[in-house]
Formats: sequence, C-alpha cells, structure tokens
Amino acid sequence: DSQRRSGDALRALHAALRSATRLAASPDTKEQAQGTMLKVLMAFKSSEIEQAVNSLDGNGIDLLMKYIYKGFEKPTENSSAILLQWHEKALAVGGLGAIVRVLTARKTV
Amino acid sequence: MAYHSFLLEPISCHAWNKDRTQIALCPNNHEVHIYRKDGARWSKVHELKEHNGQVTGIDWAPESNRLVTCGTDRNAYVWTLKGNVWKPTLVILRINRAARCVKWSPKENKFAVGSGSRLISICYFEQENDWWVCKHIKKPIRSTVLSLDWHPNNVLLAAGSCDFKCRIFSAYIKEVEERPSPTPWGSKMPFGELMFESSSSCGWVHSICFSASGARVAWVSHDSTLCLADANKKMAVASLCTETLPLLAVTFITENSLVAAGHDCYPMLFTYEEGQGSLTFGGKLDVPKQSSQRGLTARERFQNLDKKASSDTSNATLDTVHKNSISQISVLAGGKANCSQFCTTGMDGGMSIWDVKSLESALKDLKIK
Repeated sequence: DSQRRSGDALRALHAALRSATRLAASPDTKEQAQGTMLKVLMAFKSSEIEQAVNSLDGNGIDLLMKYIYKGFEKPTENSSAILLQWHEKALAVGGLGAIVRVLTARKTV
Repeated sequence: MAYHSFLLEPISCHAWNKDRTQIALCPNNHEVHIYRKDGARWSKVHELKEHNGQVTGIDWAPESNRLVTCGTDRNAYVWTLKGNVWKPTLVILRINRAARCVKWSPKENKFAVGSGSRLISICYFEQENDWWVCKHIKKPIRSTVLSLDWHPNNVLLAAGSCDFKCRIFSAYIKEVEERPSPTPWGSKMPFGELMFESSSSCGWVHSICFSASGARVAWVSHDSTLCLADANKKMAVASLCTETLPLLAVTFITENSLVAAGHDCYPMLFTYEEGQGSLTFGGKLDVPKQSSQRGLTARERFQNLDKKASSDTSNATLDTVHKNSISQISVLAGGKANCSQFCTTGMDGGMSIWDVKSLESALKDLKIK
C-alpha cells in the first residue's frame, strides 16, 4: 500500500500478486486483497499497462485475470473502463486459456 | 492433408480398421456407420443398428477385426464380421448411467468401458459360458470417466475423469493373462490397484494417452492445460497452461512429441523436454489457405461499420480445416512411437487426415523430436 503511494505502481502490482497467493481463505482477507488489487490496478497510467503485463509470468497473468474479473463483478465509478484496458492487454499475452482458467478455477480470489 | 466432410452433424466417435481402408463412425445418433475408401471417395458399406441411445465410443481391434461400441443406453456390444454382416453380442456392463468411452486392450482379450456411473467396467470373454463378463473398478473414482487408454503391457489402464484427476489402475484379469512383470509405475498390480493419481488439474480430463513405451502418460483437461506424468522421473508431472481454448483430444506421435486438438479447431504440437521435465508449445499444425487480400471498397467499409461497429477487415469465418471443435484424434500410421499420419474428427462432421512429413516441410519452425 505504501509502495503504491510512493508511486511505484509496478512494484505494488507484483507485491499484491505475491501476497494474494499466500492468503488464507477467509472472506474478509479476500475482500481486502481485492480492494488493494483494484487500487493498484487503477493507479497505472494507460500507457504503462502493457509494460506491466509483460513483466508477469504465466501464473501472474492467470492471477491478474482472476482479479480483473473479480473487479468486473463489483463495478465502481471508473473501474470498468480501466479494467477493460487491463483485460485487453492481459488477453493479448495470456490468450483465451487464461480466461478459461478463471472460469474453471477451484480456488477463487 | 485430406479433409472429407461426412455429415452436417458432429461425428461422436470414430475408429479405423487395421489397414485403414474402413472407418466406423457414429453420426450423432444411435447407429454406427462404416465407410470404405473407394479411390478418392468414401462409400457407406454397413449400418450397425443395435443401440438404443447415442453411441459414445467405438473401438476397432486390428488383429481380431472386432468392433466394440458403447452408448448412452448403458450397453456395450462386441461386433464380429460374419460373411458380410456385422453380428452384435451384448455385453452386460452392470452400470446405471451412460457409457462414455471404450477401448480394446493391446492384446484384444479384454476391453474397458468408462461410464457416468463413476466406474470402469473391464470386460473379458469367459470361454466356459461363452459370454462376456465384466469386473468393476470403482475406488476412488468420484465422477464420470471420460477417457481411457491402455498401457502396452495389457494390464495398466489410464483413466481421465470429471473429478479433475488422471489415474492409472491395474486391470489385471487372472483368467486371461499371466502376472505382469514390474513396470516403472509399480510392481504389485492386483486388479483395481491405483498405481498413480494426479493432483494438478482444475478441469475435466477430456482425453488421456500413454506414450508408446508406456513410461509416460499425458492428459488434457478443461482448464486449458496439458499435463504429462513421467514414470521414469518418479511420476513427476509437467504441466503447461495453454493460451488456447480447452483441448479435447491428445495423442503421442513420438516418445517426446504430442499432438492435441480441441475447441480451437486445429491440431497443435507440444514437445516434452525430458531433461528439464517441461512441456512447451511447438506450433499450430493447420496451414491456412492464403485468402486473396482484396481491399475493401468504401461501401463495404461503411457496411461493416454499420453492422459490426468496426471497420475491421478480418472475416467471421474460421480459416482452419475443421470448422468446429475437434473431438477425437487417432494415429493412422507409424504407431505412437513414430507417427507419420494421424486423423481428426470433429463436431463439424468432417474427418481430416494429416501427414506429419508434409506438415514438417510446410511449417518451417516445426521441430518434432
């Protein structure tokens, strides 16, 4: 969270994705993680999204896709537009397989 | 490659005879049709009508020339050719849900049927009673068995099921065979013994295949992944998350290379690196025809904008050979060790024969190990 404020959105994204995998299953921590993730994703400028997506590995892309779809479920003021940009870039790298894995995942975010 | 459109409906399943002159397929109904190749044409020579439900699996035993079919009517029939007529023999599977897949064992003295009853029926012929008898493998299968493949030793059977797991069982029947010698998958193989169970998938296992030596087993599942377990590496599982839609069928074409196809309507090559224990995508195997690139007139551009809200020139039709999902792949020539030809059938009612040599020369980056 502090990294986000300090302006290094890319590092914040990696940190958020890393901590997501260590989460306990309780709904509260999941809510909190989703909120943090959304703030991190919104903090990026449109031109930086592609570079951020390219810095992720396969598992990172799958996890990012899960959060993008989770973000779609609860739209706020501006979130859907930004998420759609993330979705387009993540789709270019992860392909339809990444979306299929969001749909079939047993462990949701 | 050669593409032949048999029907407008999906081909549910198919099987080839030994010399690849005849193909038995189910045209999405209760029957099995056998077509024979007459030069460049295919002509229907037999219609097998016995099932009361859709035929979900066909297998043709190459040496004994017998067909086994199974269907949603919870039955399986073994067909023998008497003169010019195929005569069915009913096999009581003792299942209360549809049968989904059937495979002859390599020695053709038994066959396995996977069903929605969450069990596998291993059927063998009992000489004294002149009757096919079946034994069940139940534990620990928790859902429908979608696909089966036999190990070359005639005893081990790999099963992929809807409970997201791939398992290898022993289907040793003491009445018809000798005790098997130890394999990399284990040495004690009583009937029904679970030799291996995978853990990684999140999707239904659509198709499963042993390699030619039997030391490796590969499966594809509905979460768009391809996995391979190597018995020589203590059953380590290598998996690859693909960027495509889920795959529905997979087969080995050499000991290290696999061809898989599915909802994306084209077959693709995958390679297994034994040293690293990793799977990689080797390339798309469909050679699209070079469509003539004509420029769009202003009128067409406006029409596109009006209809589709975009001035994109990409057309809405698939440029792959199959126009709908590919549901089954079978090896035609060369076996799973050195396949030179394989065949795909799909939900577009078409059957396509692919030649590995010409694919290798057509697609320059293709490396088949």
